[in-house]
Amino acid sequence: MSAPKEGFIIPASISHAALGQVTNKSLGVRYNCAQCAASFSLSKNDAIRCKECGHRVIYKARTRRMVQFEAR
Amino acid sequence: MRADFRTLEREKRFQNPPKDESAYPLLKDAVAPHVGSFNALTEGPDGGLLNLAVKDIGTKTIFDSNDSERLGNKLRIRVESLQLAKPAVPNNDKISINRRTFPAECRERMSTYRSRLMLKVAWSVNDGDEVSEIREAGQVPIMLKTNRCHLEKLSPQELVEQREESDELGGYFIVNGIEKLIRMLIVQRRNHPMAIIRPSFGNRGAAYTKFGIQIRSVRPDQTSQTNVLHYLNDGNVTFRFSWRKNEYLVPVMMILKALIETNDREIFDGIVGADSANSFLTDRLELLLRTYKQYNLYSKQETLAYLGDKFRVVFGATPDVSDIEVGKEVLRRIVLVHLPDNADKFRMLLFMIRKLYSLVAGDCSPDNPDATQHQEVLLGGFLYGMIIKEKIEEYLQNINLQIQSDINRGVAINFNDRKYMSRVFMRINENIGQKLQYFLSTGNLVSQSGLDLQQVSGYTVVAEKINFYRFISHFRMVHRGSFFAELKTTTVRKLLPESWGFLCPVHTPDGSPCGLLNHLAHKCRIATEASDVSQVPKTLAQLGVSPAHTFAAGPNLCCVQLDGKIVGWTTHEQGKIVADTLRFWKVEGGHGLPLDLEIGYVPPSAKGQYPGLYIFGGHSRMMRPAKYLPLDKPDVLGPFEQVYMNVAVTPAEIEGNVHTHVEFSPTNILSILANLTPFSDFNQSPRNMYQCQMGKQTMGTPGVALMHRSDNKLYRLQTGQTPIVKANLYDDYGMDNFPNGMNAVVAVISYTGYDMDDAMIINKSADERGFGYGTVYKVEKVDLSQSRRRGDPITQHFGFGDDEWPETWREKLDADGLPLIGVKVEEGDPIVAFFDETSGKTKVKTYHSSEPAYIEEVKLLGDDSGDQEGQQITIKYRITRQPNIGDKFSSRHGQKGVCSRKWPQIDMPFSETGIQPDVIINPHAFPSRMTIGMFVESLAGKAGALHGIAQDSTPWKFSEDDTPADYFGEQLRSAGYNYHGNEPMYSGATGEELRADIYIGCVYYQRLRHMVNDKFQVRSTGPVNSLTMQPVKGRKRSGGIRVGEMERDALIGHGTAFMLQDRLLNCSDYTQTSLCRSCGSILTTQTTVPRIGSLATIRCRRCSTKLDSYVQKFGYANDSDIWEDGQGKKFVGGDDTTTVAIPFVLKYLDSELSAMGIKMRYNVSPR
Repeated sequence: MSAPKEGFIIPASISHAALGQVTNKSLGVRYNCAQCAASFSLSKNDAIRCKECGHRVIYKARTRRMVQFEAR
Repeated sequence: MRADFRTLEREKRFQNPPKDESAYPLLKDAVAPHVGSFNALTEGPDGGLLNLAVKDIGTKTIFDSNDSERLGNKLRIRVESLQLAKPAVPNNDKISINRRTFPAECRERMSTYRSRLMLKVAWSVNDGDEVSEIREAGQVPIMLKTNRCHLEKLSPQELVEQREESDELGGYFIVNGIEKLIRMLIVQRRNHPMAIIRPSFGNRGAAYTKFGIQIRSVRPDQTSQTNVLHYLNDGNVTFRFSWRKNEYLVPVMMILKALIETNDREIFDGIVGADSANSFLTDRLELLLRTYKQYNLYSKQETLAYLGDKFRVVFGATPDVSDIEVGKEVLRRIVLVHLPDNADKFRMLLFMIRKLYSLVAGDCSPDNPDATQHQEVLLGGFLYGMIIKEKIEEYLQNINLQIQSDINRGVAINFNDRKYMSRVFMRINENIGQKLQYFLSTGNLVSQSGLDLQQVSGYTVVAEKINFYRFISHFRMVHRGSFFAELKTTTVRKLLPESWGFLCPVHTPDGSPCGLLNHLAHKCRIATEASDVSQVPKTLAQLGVSPAHTFAAGPNLCCVQLDGKIVGWTTHEQGKIVADTLRFWKVEGGHGLPLDLEIGYVPPSAKGQYPGLYIFGGHSRMMRPAKYLPLDKPDVLGPFEQVYMNVAVTPAEIEGNVHTHVEFSPTNILSILANLTPFSDFNQSPRNMYQCQMGKQTMGTPGVALMHRSDNKLYRLQTGQTPIVKANLYDDYGMDNFPNGMNAVVAVISYTGYDMDDAMIINKSADERGFGYGTVYKVEKVDLSQSRRRGDPITQHFGFGDDEWPETWREKLDADGLPLIGVKVEEGDPIVAFFDETSGKTKVKTYHSSEPAYIEEVKLLGDDSGDQEGQQITIKYRITRQPNIGDKFSSRHGQKGVCSRKWPQIDMPFSETGIQPDVIINPHAFPSRMTIGMFVESLAGKAGALHGIAQDSTPWKFSEDDTPADYFGEQLRSAGYNYHGNEPMYSGATGEELRADIYIGCVYYQRLRHMVNDKFQVRSTGPVNSLTMQPVKGRKRSGGIRVGEMERDALIGHGTAFMLQDRLLNCSDYTQTSLCRSCGSILTTQTTVPRIGSLATIRCRRCSTKLDSYVQKFGYANDSDIWEDGQGKKFVGGDDTTTVAIPFVLKYLDSELSAMGIKMRYNVSPR
């Protein structure tokens, strides 16, 4: 039942940093306020507050990336 | 006999929740004891119980001098009043637009739904002008839907807008995101002296006997003080009370004399009355009066001074108060605290003494403390108030202690200086809210006084939302007290006829809490406010009751008491008439008598309960409705009066001149859950109990606002249906909002061979259509601030860093380091990435569960102040749980079974109409269990499905002449089916007709939350304990299952020696170890450091000699005999070693023994 514990995995490709990608900027990850449902993005060091109403719970929005499973 | 589906009505209500009020007022009534008791804390005629409590605490006096000669300046300090705000965001929060905090936010943020408690502290110096200041005393958790909650008056529509259920009940607290409620406790009925024979009473002292009179008097603020009168061998009576967990005994005469200016004659008359011929009584009274003479205390003042002197230290009286004042304070705080007037206390004490003597003489029977007649319910809100009161008292004491320590340390004290006073406030712990939060989260009572309660823990429970049945049951639950759970005797657990209509006879768990954890009958109410009894004394006088001060005493006259106060005397004949008239008038209305007044008339009897007319109108009483026959109007009954009343269960059994009342419905005696069991009157009673248990373990619908909840684990049935067969109460309680099961076509047949022993077979196609399909939601909280100390700067940030990390992580994680919503995670997959500044590396947390899950929600939680970078998130996983072999199912009749096979539909038997069962159960499940209700449900369900109607399954609707078999049989017949519910069926495998007709119908099935996926435990090899090398235990750690002594015995009994060795040794801690044959030790052998070109050998260090000493002795050593240990030391000899197989613990045992100086020697020889 127990799969082998994850050890170190050799990176398949060179990392983002080496590619020159800026990971600091959130790449279009959207968040929704739990109270007023406003949609906004957050940058890395932002406090968890709704930009509209100041609410302290924020939902991560569903990804726009395709999430597909094997449907049998 | 009608029930409706009301589908359209329901759908419309779902689409547009009502804008005025809930469609289910019964639900609100169900939690009324909780909500009402909490409301009573802050509202009411006297400004709420908390303000009464603050008044009762009174003023504390403090002197600023350490000198015993002079007192110094006097500070009198008190809490003048108290205020409780509504939950809001902190004052320093400038961003929030909406300043109110709502419960949904607290659930999601795993914080506490609480609000500020403000104390108005007032003090005066040297009896000068009073100065006051408002102090913040922390944040107190608030009960939902009470007058301190923002949800109180919201309509279903508005509740939905606030992310609550449309019919949110409230009645619980939210502490750290967990819903907690204070459970109701059974306590002694207030203000009524109870005669008790308890052998342990004899342990108090030499002359003490088992006889006693106990009264639990309750102050207006709902705190209580128990007083007991003890009977001594010689006829004397002592008064016992406990104060701050210490017991004190005072001669009752001293209390009597201190209460009012009295004399022996008055006391004699007040106890004996006209019964001077009763020599048993007069003898004892003479003794009582005579023995008291030794104290030489005659007047009230003398007695008070004596009492005050003795209790001065205990009560912490300051030197400026006289002994007499202290004595008065003792009487005020201790003796019959429900009565404000000393003359009333005096009369009540005399009554109690007389009752005690009657008990001793055997003229009256002891009262049963386990009977509902002498019980009431301690409500959560009241208990909460009691704790707040005690904490405020502690607060004042702490001020005193702080000033005392200032005095001792020589700090300059100036009571007139505001600065000094705020210094005092600053230095004490003012956070009362935190203490209440501790109480709610642990259920432990930290108290100086013990609050007159018998337990210190177990006051709160989690309001689990497994399904709605379980949730609602929490609020109807009353516990007898954890003290009784340890009791060996089972008398307290008995179901007594006195509980009729108040406690449900069916709904109690089996096992250890059986009979201690009861549930209120669904129509039982609990008074959360006192009734207006102001007109009662006047009415009594009008009815010819003589006043309390008349010359009267004893059981030969009828004593009339109102809430524990003697209001008059009358004859027994007259007493009966008074009671009947009062009842008539209160039901009639218009006499100023409240309808819920309890008129307990105890008639005179031969050695029965002590007679009298006891009227109650106070808090916490259990009450239930019944119809009053003379006026044909609703009346309210209490458990005290009910014992002596004649209440017909059905109108048919009313007999003239016997019955005064009739039940509105016989189902009123059942709890909410017991009422929902269909045709429960046809079942053997334990089966109904089992159903009440299993209904609460069903995987159902916990609620609809699931996305706004963050429970650790939540079960959800995806394909819930409304039952075809349901009691009408099902709709009244709005159970359709929370479906709890599915209608299934059930055939009772032995068919596949997979249906033995309570196994059931599910039609594979039914399963594929979604029968019983469920989901489990699990929430994991990731808190990065957990790894650092408070106040330290943030070093870990969600998201990826600039270092190198495996690209595969991005398959599951977004750019922000949080998982993609909707992605599937399996064991070992990353669920969150964060950058650790200290190591400069990006790390991930991984998913730990063998079951794959889908990411349902990711919530980012702000901290309380809301200005820091996010450190907390919660991830909600969705785990799909298709019905599996080994999952548990049950009908609503205590008939549980485990799915043993999913049988292909083509092989299922089919009826002539082509119907194939969804579920097959074995006929052997019925004969011994006698759950006829299940047969009836099957019949009714089938008829309902055929005609497209809902069927009412309320118990006690049918009779011998009008049987359900006939009623539903006729419906079946009219639909063209067999009257009995049997049908000829054909084998799915061969197509041949089965030899017997098969009973097939529609039964509502519940899927229970016990699923194999949460339970299975297998292991071949795995983690072991490092000390013993034996496998660890526990499913979570992938450990083994212990082969214990009894299993071992069974293996021995079967003579399976190899099996035994395999289990106990080979699969456990089998080890090969080296042993020295000459000295017989396993601890001294060691491996040598091999020379180049040779192998390592095993030598015994103990049997070898050091090379130096060997050379000294023998001159030289053969080079091949020399061996070397790890440190380079050289030895010769010790080569008589061998290898043996042992359990590894033996090594451990050996080393433990050698540490004690015991050597173990193993003699080994070849076999």
